[in-house]
Formats: sequence, structure tokens, C-alpha cells
Amino acid sequence: MSRKLAIALRTFLGIVFLYAAYTKLRQPWLVFAMSIDAYQLLPSWAVLTAARTLPAVELILGVLLLWGKFLRYAALALTVLLIGFYAAMIRAYQAGAGIDCGCFGVGEAVSMITLARDGVLLASSLILTYLVFNEEGLRRSPILHPQTESER
Amino acid sequence: MKRVMLFSVLLVAGAVFTAGEPPFGRAMGNPSAPIRIDLYSDYQCPACKVFHQNTLGPLIDNYVKSGKVYLVHREFPLPIHAHAREAACYVSAAERLGKYVEVGDQLFRKQELWAKDGDVANTACSVLDANTAKKLRALAADPQIAAEVDRDIQAAQAEKINGTPTMIITKMIRRYPVPGPVSYAVLSKFLDSLLN
Repeated sequence: MSRKLAIALRTFLGIVFLYAAYTKLRQPWLVFAMSIDAYQLLPSWAVLTAARTLPAVELILGVLLLWGKFLRYAALALTVLLIGFYAAMIRAYQAGAGIDCGCFGVGEAVSMITLARDGVLLASSLILTYLVFNEEGLRRSPILHPQTESER
Repeated sequence: MKRVMLFSVLLVAGAVFTAGEPPFGRAMGNPSAPIRIDLYSDYQCPACKVFHQNTLGPLIDNYVKSGKVYLVHREFPLPIHAHAREAACYVSAAERLGKYVEVGDQLFRKQELWAKDGDVANTACSVLDANTAKKLRALAADPQIAAEVDRDIQAAQAEKINGTPTMIITKMIRRYPVPGPVSYAVLSKFLDSLLN
């Protein structure tokens, strides 16, 4: 069960992150920089650095999740990234800034819907991280390794 | 006959070309500038105040006055802000009196006050002499002014804008919607990239 869940979660998150990277890479990177800047959290140099690197990071994480390689690193990085995104979105929503989410390109304001959606992503990522850091549990999964008669 | 036809064509072309243009005063800069920015604002929105105070000044000084950007202000009072529509009407009325900038600046400067007590009229009139203030009060109640604000709101809805401030940056046929109180440092990099 755990293994199947882990595969489902990493496939789901992998596709979501590949799509997120695609929406950012198809537009000029400075448009994404302005989306980040609107959150008013980072200095200009950090905004520009994040805008240059984040789409690539999302792309790499998406590929690693789908490929199933370096899963511990990928899952951990994903969780840290999503916690950062979520905190920024909550802050923007509380401030009533009415700013763009910037999650999947331009044109989607931070709202209860975007918060709920990113909450699902964060929860999925946390569960995936727990599962891949408990590989022992995965190995003992009855689907992967059914117990033999002698083990019973 | 040919002259009549030519005149008709020019008349129709002129009407089409100017139909979407806002009245004089809201627009700043050279209409044939390489970049056009349509800025949708809500005078009761705190993010718009941040944008107005931190970004708009240097944008006008460095890009609009130098002929690189044609800036058009549009009203987009959000329904969540109780006094935003009234403020938009006062600013639109002030435009007719040639006081768009003065009244707009004052409304942003005193935003916290009138947002609480709803005294938009006195705030807007506080930067005008008694005679102009009287005209402004009368104009702000004019249904034509309300219709102007409605036209801007409809334009914003057509652009699928859902927050303020939002800029629609246009260079040739490319259009970039840019929501949020973007800092001047990042906005100028984007404008430079478009100009180069």
C-alpha cells in the first residue's frame, strides 16, 4: 500500500511540477520575476535570482520525481520549496494584497482556491517525504515483499 | 465621389483608432511610444498605494517623460472596498478639471483615513480651491462619470483582471499582464528588455 501510494504521489507531484516549470519557461523570465516581486518578500537581487533558477529547479524536481531517482533529496527539496511557497501565499492572502499567485504562469490571484490547491500539494509532498525516508517500511510493504511462510 | 469615400474611410478609421482611448488627462506621455502600459488601480487598495508611492514616480520620470512609455491610468474599484467606486468617480471627475494627478495623489496619501470614515469627498476636495472643489463635487455625481468608471471596469473584466494594481504592458502585438505592486527595480529591467 505504502509503495503504491508513494508512486502515485510522486507521479502526481512530478507532473504538477513539470507543468509549473513549463508555464514559467514559456514566458520571459522577467515576467515571472515581477510575479515574485509582487509578494514584496525579497530584495531585487534575490527576486531576479529566484526567477532565473526556480523554473529550472521545478523542472529538475519534476523529472526526478517521475524518474524515481534521488527520491529522498527530491522529496525533501520539494517539501521545503512548497512550505516556502505556502507561507508566502498565506502572508499575501492575509495582507489582502490581491496579488498574482505566479504558481502556473500569470493570471491567477492568491485566493482560498489557490491556498487549498497548494495545501493539497504540500500535504502530498509531506506524505511522500515521510514514505521515502521510511524505506524500511516500503521494503516491508506486503505488496512488494509478501511475507513467506517461514517469516510468519 | 472619390473624395467623399476617402473622407468616410478616414472618419471610420479615426473613430476605430480613438474608440478605446481614455479622455485626456489620464494618459501620460507620447501615444506613439514603443511601450504602452494600461494601469488598473483601486484607490482603496493598499497594494495600489505601495505601487503609486514607490514605483509610479520613477516610472513616469524615467520612461514616460522620455517618450519610451505611454501610460494610461484606468479605474478598477474592487467590490470588496466600500468607498473605492466613489474615489474612482472623484478622480475621473477631477480629470475633467485638469486635477487628476493632484486628487489621485491625495486619495492615495490619505487612504487609511477615508477608507475608515468614508469621507472621500472632503479628502479629494482638500487639495483644490473652493470653486474647483464645488465643481468637483457636482461632477463626481454626474452619471457620465459613473459610466466612464463602468467602462474601465468592463475593460478590466475583459482583460480577466482579478486584482489591483495590474499593468497590461503592450509592445507591438505582445501583451503582458503584470499584477501586483512590482518594484521599480524589477519593472525597469523588464521594460529595458522590451526596449532592447
